[in-house]
Amino acid sequence: MMRPTATLRIHDDHVTLAALGARAFPLLAGIGLAALALAAVLGAVRGDGFSYFFHSYLTNYCFVLSIALGALFFVLIQHATRAGWSVAVRRISEILAANVSVLLVLFLPVLAPVLLGSHALYEWTSPAAVAGDHLLEHKSPYLNVPFFGIRCVFYFAVWWLITRFFLRRSVQQDHSGDASLTLSMERFSGPALLLFAVTVTFAAFDWLMSLEPRWFSTIYGIYYFSGAILAGVAAIVLAAAALQASGRLTMSVTAEHYHDLGKLLFGFVIFWGYIAFSQYMLIWYANIPEETVYYLARQTNGWAGVSLALAFGHLLVPFVGLLPRSMKRRKGVLAFWCVWLLVFHWLDMYWLVMPNYSPDAGPPFGLIDVALLVGLVCLYLASAVRVAGGEALVPIKDPRLGESLALENF
Amino acid sequence: MSTITLPAEDNTTDDPRRRAPLTMGGQTLTSITETVARIAERPRPPRAWYVAFAVSSTLTAALILAAIYLIAVGVGVWGNNVPVAWAFDIVNFVFWVGIGHAGTLISAILFLFRQRWRTSVNRFAEAMTIFAVICAGIFPAIHIGRVWFVYWLAPYVNQMAVWPNFRSPLLWDVFAVGTYATVSLLFWYLGMIPDLATLRDRATSRVRRIAYGIFALGWRGSGRQWHRYERAYMLLAGLATPLVLSVHSVVSFDFAVSVVPGWHTTIFPPYFVAGAIFSGFAMVVTLMVPARAFFGLKDLVTLRHLENMNKVILATGCMVGYAYSIEFFIAWYGGNPYEQFAFINRAFGPYTWAYWIMVTCNVVAPQAFWFKKVRTTPWMMVIVCILVNIGMWFERFVIVVTSLSRDYLPSAWEYYRPTAVDITMLLGSFGLFFTLFLLFCRYLPMVAMAEVKAVLPHHHAAGDWQTPAPAEPHANGESHQGIRYPDQVSEGH
Amino acid sequence: MAEKEPTIADAPGGAVAALVAQFAGPDELVEAASQVRDAGYRYWDTHTPYPIHGMDRAMGIRPTVLPWMVLAGGVAGAAAALLMQWWMNAVDYPYIISGKPLFSLPAFIPVTFELIVLFSALTAFVGVLALNQLPQLWHPVFQSRRFARATSDGFFLSIEARDPKFEESRAAELLQSAGAVAIDVCRMPATGREVPTGVYWGVATLAILAILPPLGVAWYRSGAKKLPRIHPILDMDAQPKYRAQAFNPLFPGGMASRPAVPGTIAQGEMDENTALYLGKLGEQWVDEFPVPVSMEAVQRGRERFNIYCAPCHGLTGEGDGMVSQRATRRAEPNWVPPLSLHAEPVRVQPVGQLYNTVTNGIRTMPPYASQISVEDRWAIVLYVKALQRSQHATLDDVPEEMREKLR
Repeated sequence: MMRPTATLRIHDDHVTLAALGARAFPLLAGIGLAALALAAVLGAVRGDGFSYFFHSYLTNYCFVLSIALGALFFVLIQHATRAGWSVAVRRISEILAANVSVLLVLFLPVLAPVLLGSHALYEWTSPAAVAGDHLLEHKSPYLNVPFFGIRCVFYFAVWWLITRFFLRRSVQQDHSGDASLTLSMERFSGPALLLFAVTVTFAAFDWLMSLEPRWFSTIYGIYYFSGAILAGVAAIVLAAAALQASGRLTMSVTAEHYHDLGKLLFGFVIFWGYIAFSQYMLIWYANIPEETVYYLARQTNGWAGVSLALAFGHLLVPFVGLLPRSMKRRKGVLAFWCVWLLVFHWLDMYWLVMPNYSPDAGPPFGLIDVALLVGLVCLYLASAVRVAGGEALVPIKDPRLGESLALENF
Repeated sequence: MSTITLPAEDNTTDDPRRRAPLTMGGQTLTSITETVARIAERPRPPRAWYVAFAVSSTLTAALILAAIYLIAVGVGVWGNNVPVAWAFDIVNFVFWVGIGHAGTLISAILFLFRQRWRTSVNRFAEAMTIFAVICAGIFPAIHIGRVWFVYWLAPYVNQMAVWPNFRSPLLWDVFAVGTYATVSLLFWYLGMIPDLATLRDRATSRVRRIAYGIFALGWRGSGRQWHRYERAYMLLAGLATPLVLSVHSVVSFDFAVSVVPGWHTTIFPPYFVAGAIFSGFAMVVTLMVPARAFFGLKDLVTLRHLENMNKVILATGCMVGYAYSIEFFIAWYGGNPYEQFAFINRAFGPYTWAYWIMVTCNVVAPQAFWFKKVRTTPWMMVIVCILVNIGMWFERFVIVVTSLSRDYLPSAWEYYRPTAVDITMLLGSFGLFFTLFLLFCRYLPMVAMAEVKAVLPHHHAAGDWQTPAPAEPHANGESHQGIRYPDQVSEGH
Repeated sequence: MAEKEPTIADAPGGAVAALVAQFAGPDELVEAASQVRDAGYRYWDTHTPYPIHGMDRAMGIRPTVLPWMVLAGGVAGAAAALLMQWWMNAVDYPYIISGKPLFSLPAFIPVTFELIVLFSALTAFVGVLALNQLPQLWHPVFQSRRFARATSDGFFLSIEARDPKFEESRAAELLQSAGAVAIDVCRMPATGREVPTGVYWGVATLAILAILPPLGVAWYRSGAKKLPRIHPILDMDAQPKYRAQAFNPLFPGGMASRPAVPGTIAQGEMDENTALYLGKLGEQWVDEFPVPVSMEAVQRGRERFNIYCAPCHGLTGEGDGMVSQRATRRAEPNWVPPLSLHAEPVRVQPVGQLYNTVTNGIRTMPPYASQISVEDRWAIVLYVKALQRSQHATLDDVPEEMREKLR
């Protein structure tokens, strides 16, 4: 039952970024650009033809991208299931998702070198490597530069359309209060999920799996997806907690929402572990050399530590940590676990990309990684602040907002 | 509080401003008890029940005879032979285990997702789970050849001083299916205790009172009991959720840990789980549609329930289609000639018919559920769901048989043909499933009364508590001109 | 409705056991529950057809310990599974399967997971019944006629007489003022029979029936039996054929086995070269190899020896093969450990006698004639001789140019 207090709450709440956005945007954009410039200098100084820079850039890019994709999936699945509980945090996830144009621009440092003929990142882009390599020749109808570019454009176009559609409708409802907009969003969430599944899978194949062009795994797309959801939900929690710390949404987002988001995090921690274990166990057990090379590179030359860190930090520790009810209901504690999960999700991306850079010398790490992470995250957040603009941070006229405000776990 | 009028029997219209009612026909606590309990209390079930029971028990008898014949003569009476050493036995096993996944999904996962509409269908689906697991268990037990040594699978202290091999996925299966059967049974029974107490308290004959009374364990519905009961139910749901994922994953490991082309692929675990849910829901809908009509449950199991299940079928059908496509793509992309051959052989080899039946039924047929008309018209959804069931049986057939019939040794290639015993046992397993199912419909509460009552909009007792007015079950709901949308009813937050 | 005077029903019987009050609906019951809680009763309860939201708080129920029990069950399941798999596959019966390590964590995870779930679920189920004190087939509140509706559509509150504060009139007053619409007085049964005796008999019969099969198995397994203990399927036990020495009326003399036709030799039985086939010349064991002695023959013999003989005799012939070790460790009653091939009685045996032992077996050693060809049997003997020599070698056996190294 919609409690009378619930409907009142929303009117007394600070629901827009207002002045904070105007202050934060230049700051974030400035830090972001400066950090990227620093990283570029550091990359040049290394003198390895920007190879390290590109690998690290891809790591951090995939990390930031996964937050946006995770948030997008969150929006879609809430509409597909006609969920009411999540309405209070849905706008946050819509905003986190709808940064595709910036993500496209930020993707250029990966795409442009490929198009311009650099082979620093992807071995299959080099005709010399392909010639005479039976497998790479076989794959060249798929793994070739023009088709790669076309696919990238396709992915970004799809994401741009979906995120824009859902954010626009949702904001439109803030003004018109038209309930039929909800219906139209629900109707399109199904096909959007299909497109989402296809694009995320192939983007993961193209950008990450083709780093090792001779290796393959059918579950790879789902693996990236499972980590992305985790990152997306963690980012939603952190965004909500940060906004509440700034005095916004203090009355619309409650412990009940954190509890439910925490449950989702807990579920996807297990899901990630399930997918990661399935991939590892099947390859380990069948013991076919063309597949085991992938894990061999990740358990020798110092990489075993990173792999074990993932098993513990990405699965076992957060599993135990998020199990008790009280951990999910306390904002501060849950925020800690979200930061923890984001750190390990970053490590997961690092684990996917970096063994290709230094299979022999062990895990590299340097200021350049930090600079790139700070740069990409800041630019992404700057874009999110821009997207949020002066609009409400809660879909204030969503017909199910009352249900969400009155949410109670039992 | 606004009210809108809807045509009778339709709660499938979406209005985001308010939640559609979960039950129709103005249900009260009393009417729910009456509607559900009367089915089990009725001296004679509908004639259709007898007809169905005669057919299914005949098939069960055929299954038993075929099994006896097989055990007496040997597994040679099946069509399995090198290279197709696994055939109908494993196909049927995987098929039935898959069917068994819907029950736990509805009871556990939808419970955790607070999908309240599950209350009307969970009992039904859980029962199906148990019966399907029973059907599934028959086949691996028999296919080991000497079925009387099946206990060797258990790690027990024995005079041979040997232990089972825990590094074999086949042993994982024993533990996974065994655990699944046990936990499903506990979950089903725990959920049924309050309803058995209802039947006990309504019993008119001494025999029934004692029989239901023993199984109700003396349940008093007390506040302290409910408190712990709800905790236990939630814990079991939390445990059953990863369990249901693990069971079909372990079944997929049976194939995927091998190096057989078409079997060894990393997407198998989630793909099998999606397929299992897909087939399980299709079976639930296939049986629910006639059951709600014959037993007058249309007001409790409404079109909206069926529509929701059909949406799950659509979603999982798309996941299965995704897995088929990714497998094909990676078979090409991987560049392994054996893998490529296996997939081309599936689609265009000697079993091409089976492959295209599978694709048509599993990927194309459920696309009909994009249309609301199909999702909400009983006869249409039954057709789609039967097609899905056929398709999912063929999926397992395609995986098991086509990969084996043309493996690494071309001189051993063979076209597998099932024998009469194979087909009898397949049909017989359906007979066993339906026999158990019909007995369940007849003697146990088909809908979880206590759970449906808990999600009723107005927690009011029947009008006058002194003279209970047994509300007639509204079999067809003609008498209702309109319904009011109450405020708090929700199918999920 | 609450203002109306409630009906109080009392049935004949023994001492008062409980008061059962009916309330109009869930909200009224929650309200009444908080009043009874505040009155300080301990043995009282509410009875509803479904769990009422907010009743826990109204009744002052503390959270159950069940989740902790389940957690303990899960930890126990994990420990049991890992220990079991480690002990069984890596310690007690180590056996290499497809090149995997004896303790293969990835392969042990599925069973570990399943047992975690199984143990936790069983704990949850047994735990909820135990905490709820079920099964409890008889309870005073069942005396109330009205109470049957607690599982359908009625809302009840009961106060038991064993509560230290219980006093019939006061409790009834409290219930009345809390808004009860009807109150039933439940008494102990006058006959003292709470549950029909048939139920006890039924349970006892079932329990005895359930014990019988394990008892039968235990009894059957405890003694020594010559025949297989469980032998339901007589696969190939009965074969339509005549065994050697059996009676067959079709043939003269009733002999089932047909003797060879005089003056003929069956294919493959042309073994007039007794030195080669039997290792004998007349009654004497041959002392010379009837086959050419060569390095290839020794190598062949070593290979065959390692396959057929080494499991018992050990790779060096010391009699320390895996089978022998295991049988000795387990103190198998019928096990005769193989003699060391380097023992004096074996060393002095002529090659023909060694050949005969391989062919026909000795003591518990089975004959190998059907598995190893004649040439290979001689090759094995040759290798055994080489082995024996290797263990009793003198300096003279070493080639001259190598002797320096050994000094």
